[in-house]
Amino acid sequence: MGRLFTRQARGRKQRDELLSAYLDGQLSTGERARLEARLATDSALEAELEALRHTVALVHDLPPTPIPRNFILPQTIAARPRPMPSKGHRSAWAAPLLTAATAVVSLLFVVVLAGDLLLSGTGRVAFAPAGERMMEAEAPQAALAPSQVSEEVTVEVEVEAEVKAETEEVIPAATPLPMPMEAPPEAIPEATAEAEHYAARTPEDVETTVAEEAAIAPTAPATPEGTLSPDQAMGGGQIEEPTVPAPTPSPSVAEEAAATPTSPATATAVPERNVGGIGPTPSEVAEVAPWAIGEEEPKAAESGRGAPEGEVVGVAAISPWRVLEAILGLVTLGLVLVTVWAWRVRRR
Amino acid sequence: MDETALIFAAQQGKVDAFNELVLAYQDQVYNLAYRIVGDPASAADATQEAFISAFQNIARFRGGSFKSYLMRIATNGCYDELRRRKRRPTTSFEDFGELDEEANPALINGSERPEEYAERQEMAHVIQAGIETLPPDQRITLVLSDVQGLSYQEIAEATDVSLGTVKSRLARARGKLRDYLRSQGELLPARYRLE
Repeated sequence: MGRLFTRQARGRKQRDELLSAYLDGQLSTGERARLEARLATDSALEAELEALRHTVALVHDLPPTPIPRNFILPQTIAARPRPMPSKGHRSAWAAPLLTAATAVVSLLFVVVLAGDLLLSGTGRVAFAPAGERMMEAEAPQAALAPSQVSEEVTVEVEVEAEVKAETEEVIPAATPLPMPMEAPPEAIPEATAEAEHYAARTPEDVETTVAEEAAIAPTAPATPEGTLSPDQAMGGGQIEEPTVPAPTPSPSVAEEAAATPTSPATATAVPERNVGGIGPTPSEVAEVAPWAIGEEEPKAAESGRGAPEGEVVGVAAISPWRVLEAILGLVTLGLVLVTVWAWRVRRR
Repeated sequence: MDETALIFAAQQGKVDAFNELVLAYQDQVYNLAYRIVGDPASAADATQEAFISAFQNIARFRGGSFKSYLMRIATNGCYDELRRRKRRPTTSFEDFGELDEEANPALINGSERPEEYAERQEMAHVIQAGIETLPPDQRITLVLSDVQGLSYQEIAEATDVSLGTVKSRLARARGKLRDYLRSQGELLPARYRLE
């Protein structure tokens, strides 16, 4: 039914086009001859032609409307500057362009936000600043008596004179008193593992724990610096080559946290944790430790030139993701406002 | 002074010369605008704007039909007016019958009887109402062709479309107007009725 109606409408349209062009003399000789032959035999078609002709004649005979006034231009028109395109005309293209820009920037914002959330969701602890990991490592460790730690757990390092000199060169302002022992960041995961064991076992087990922990080290990609060799681990877990001196913490903290690299943030955080008795549960640490071993060692090799740990913590604290998100968020907001304004101007 | 010389003088900034052209074409431009937009006030505004724009852009006129040049500018102005109305519909003065041509005794042809004049005005109202039912493209094409008498080529130039499009739009406009007038059959004076 609908198809029949459509076909009829199309037929009427074609017929009107033919008749209209015929009235204006726009048909070719052949078309005209064919139409005239049909008109001679088809009275309905002839009636349609007459109706159309009558319509055209009526429009043509419309009486001219008298002008309400003269439209002559004033002499001043010559001196008048040409009108600039109105705001509406300018915003005619500006509004869609701004809409597209807003869409692109907001999409980028969503992508960055999603990327950040996903990454921080999966590797939140693994990529966390060293200070946080240290706090996790130290909390259980601090539960032990300081004497036990110093005897059996603390990695005692005799800092060679060369290393000291190097350290002082690299960070002259780091500390007036050289640290008795400075652990590189590579030691963090190991310290975490240690802490886990110490938290879970009695002090008597600690030595064997260190041996176990040392066995983990060779499984990870070895770095020239800061990785515990089995021998060293057996001999008290000495760290071979401390490269990252920490800014001076308080001496007591330095003693307690001797096995781990320290930073000002860590130094203050440790006692707080101890006082509050809050620390990651051993299970939490156990989840993280193997991960961290694998991830941190290459990073440590990169930062092994003597960059202070505190600096690394500072950079990590102001994440570039956050900066990017903030910038994109502000730009998106600004674009949305400008786009709304542009569409309003255009409608006006 | 002939048209070409007036145009040349206008291109040199002579407003008087351009005003000669205004006087020659203002009836056509105003009637075009009136038939397209349908009310005298908007038609007058569109006409004035068309002449101002024509003068300001006359340096770009490179010969050809000056009438087509003017019609093109006026048509664009009418398009803008129709678009504006679509966004913000308003009621024209004519809807209130305030500017009825019947009220102007000067319009009565000396040889025409008052009844005949009334019939003609009635018919003009019906046709104008029919024209205003058409979509803008078809309305403008019909007015340019059947009111202004422009050729297909001139219409194509004025509206920036191909000859085929002009032909098609005109046929559809005429067909729709014919159907409209048929639907108004009983209201039309007997001699104007379509069979």
